[in-house]
Amino acid sequence: MNGTVQDLARDYASVLRTYLTDEDEACLHRVYELGRRALNADCGILDITVLHQKALIVALRQASTDEERERVLRLGHALFLEALSPFDMSQRQCRDASVGLRRLNETLEGEVRRIAHALHDEAAQLLVSVDLAVDEVAFGLPAHVRDRLDKIRAPLRQCASELRRLSHELRPPVLDDLGLIPALEFLADGVSSRIGIPVVVTGSTDGRQPGAVEIAVYRVVQEALSNVAKHAHASNVVIEIRQSESALHCTVRDNGTGFDMSAVGAKPAERGLGLLAIRERIDALGGTHQIVTAPGEGTELLLTVPLGGTNGDSRSAR
Amino acid sequence: MSAKDLGISVLGADARVQIRSDSDIVVARQKGRAMATASSFAPAEATLIATAISELARNIVLYAKTGEVILKIVDNGNRHGIKIIAADEGPGIADLDRAMQLGYSTSGSLGLGLPGVKRLMDEFEIVSAPGKGTRVTVLKWRT
Repeated sequence: MNGTVQDLARDYASVLRTYLTDEDEACLHRVYELGRRALNADCGILDITVLHQKALIVALRQASTDEERERVLRLGHALFLEALSPFDMSQRQCRDASVGLRRLNETLEGEVRRIAHALHDEAAQLLVSVDLAVDEVAFGLPAHVRDRLDKIRAPLRQCASELRRLSHELRPPVLDDLGLIPALEFLADGVSSRIGIPVVVTGSTDGRQPGAVEIAVYRVVQEALSNVAKHAHASNVVIEIRQSESALHCTVRDNGTGFDMSAVGAKPAERGLGLLAIRERIDALGGTHQIVTAPGEGTELLLTVPLGGTNGDSRSAR
Repeated sequence: MSAKDLGISVLGADARVQIRSDSDIVVARQKGRAMATASSFAPAEATLIATAISELARNIVLYAKTGEVILKIVDNGNRHGIKIIAADEGPGIADLDRAMQLGYSTSGSLGLGLPGVKRLMDEFEIVSAPGKGTRVTVLKWRT
């Protein structure tokens, strides 16, 4: 990579020198191809900016009059645009992909909501009516028969309540009705009683947030808590929510065993699905996430989700 | 050097550039940029037009060996635009959907190639079939 940057810097400086004498399209074409090469070699816009700057300074030092310096700047600018053009194209793709990812998440959320509704209002409801029908049949029958029917009714009721619990976990009605903080409190209570450690929610938001933001933060915290339950051996978890002017910040911190980030794998494919899901959720909203951890040091997940620009279609997708 | 020597035939405001090598790509870019500038496109837009020409013409050189790029000034009464037609009689594309999603090669995964050109331009049309060559028509309106 360093070698590549050095090669690119040398080529760029050489094209700039030629362009300052010839001022022809061939130089622009060469620099465009150079930008393409840089993109293929994983160089970033900052690398290109730095090598442009260095070449420009050399050229400016050789210019002796204001007119010459002005010309170096003008031609250098034209060259720079060409070098950046492949990055512009690539960035458009990222933007499209991000929109696609957000739509996909919204579609999936819609499906989850449909399934949660079917479990709660259809499947669980049917079981309740079967339970009532059995109760009716049992009425007036001898006690030993009623006992046997009760043995059927108990698992029926258990099954219905299990389906309701599943439905609430899939898509908590409290998130739609009351918003992020109450939903996180509901989630924290559930996890706390399941794994037997305190899970505390602190902080506040300035009213309701765009639907896409609320559901993304909720899902990511859900994923983080599931990781804590599975791996962390923590005795304490704190979820902190803070709203700044333009973004929502969320921290999930545990005092568990932590882990070695480098051992989880630097390549996305080697990371757990959970971490990947977190990244994609947050990427889709143009947010950032960071995991701070080390063996024995607990784990901290920091999320920042911008609040601008997600208002448009997010509400309707809920 | 005359327009004929450069491989440019001027038909009113239109230009036709034979594409066989890198130096022909340069000619097509130069012509496209000149037309864009003459039609008051902003410098950054003129750069994007040159970029689209580069991507289309380099596909011709890489996959069809020869072909042509035709540039036209268009006007729909309200707006000025530049139409770029890249046509060849090369092997053609068997799976257009795939080519439009991924490009011909790894370039597509970086957002370059045909999918990249589509994102840069306002209108995009591609006609191709195996053995029948490829014709890409794109249009950029002046903002």
